[in-house]
Amino acid sequence: MDLNTDSTKPIYMQIAEWIENEIIADRFLSDEKVYSQYQLAELFNINPATAAKGLTILVEEQILYKKRGLGMFVAPEAKNMILEKRRNETLTRMARELVHEARRLSVTEEELIQLIKKCEEEQK
Amino acid sequence: MTIIDCQNLKKRYKRLNALEDITFQLEEKKITGLIGRNGAGKTTLLKILAGFIRKSSGDIQVFSNNPFNNLRVSANSILVDDQMSFPDSLTLADILEVAPDFYKRWDTELANNLFKYFRLNPKQLHSRLSKGNRATFNMIFGLATRCELTMFDEPTNGMDEAVRSDFYRALLKDYIAHPRSILISSHHLAEMEHLLEDILLIHKGKVIFHQSLEEIKDYAVALQGPTDVVEKMTVGKEILHTKQMDSQRKYVVIRTEDVPAIEGVKIHPVTASDVCMYVTSDRKGGIDDVFK
Repeated sequence: MDLNTDSTKPIYMQIAEWIENEIIADRFLSDEKVYSQYQLAELFNINPATAAKGLTILVEEQILYKKRGLGMFVAPEAKNMILEKRRNETLTRMARELVHEARRLSVTEEELIQLIKKCEEEQK
Repeated sequence: MTIIDCQNLKKRYKRLNALEDITFQLEEKKITGLIGRNGAGKTTLLKILAGFIRKSSGDIQVFSNNPFNNLRVSANSILVDDQMSFPDSLTLADILEVAPDFYKRWDTELANNLFKYFRLNPKQLHSRLSKGNRATFNMIFGLATRCELTMFDEPTNGMDEAVRSDFYRALLKDYIAHPRSILISSHHLAEMEHLLEDILLIHKGKVIFHQSLEEIKDYAVALQGPTDVVEKMTVGKEILHTKQMDSQRKYVVIRTEDVPAIEGVKIHPVTASDVCMYVTSDRKGGIDDVFK
């Protein structure tokens, strides 16, 4: 994966998100070891301190836990926690943008709900 | 542990104050970018740190020693720049062979592998190398010394694109395998910022800031939108840079604070490289203003 160095998102956040994505995709399972800061640094061609910062964020959020001398491991509830977090943050933000755009285009609330229902049908 | 400690360091050449007032400490085993405009004093600072030239006043400690004429500093540090000279009685292969006598942590395998990878000619003389190949050889030499303090002054000058990116990758991989203190100066912050932990920005012989890369990225934001709206928003704020986009829209860089979201004004991130450029600029406009 390539990092987006021009993005507003700091590189360490992108690293944290990449690990989260790997957990959601079941490529890192519960209680499995994740990459060390050095492995991440090498993989993404970044300074190990930046990679460490990405890991630290996930430890603070209790998505990863530390085993002294052994490295970082995926918390048993990590996947659910990430999904929950993404639902709360990402989906809410997207919904907000959707409503904003709808208003700009003079789409009524009624019409917007119809549109969502229609999309819901299409995915079934 | 602190490996470099500079307090009010000054360097005066005959008519020029190259370093006005340099104060900073460097913690060990970090990769730090030494950034500054032409003539900021980067090379002078590196030469003083390496013990090549003498300070004028202030205090400087490298491994707790004054670096000038100091054997401990010479044995444990290297400054790679385009003025490195090697005797013409030695071929490149000879140079690599005698190097371990001078640098006790010399890595023969790394030196030889890099030498082969970059297809240098072992029988050639250092003084006959092309600009690009000389920069490549110097870089190989610098990496292979594994010096506790490894300094590069504009190492990629003369290298082509491919060699540059190979160099940065080699530096990172060898640093991961053997962490050490690396100080690297460059005009090209953007191409190496992913490698850096900290940035030391100097301007006109003074330290502007010494911070982590992430802090510098958070330093400023750019606002872009209708000229009157943007101007109203930035009244009383410290303006780092402005650019007129077209007759109606303006681009203004200000310090990061809670900028109120206003319809029609876009907020852009400012790269670390641009932050460094703006804070060391003596003018607020750009080259376009010259042609007005």
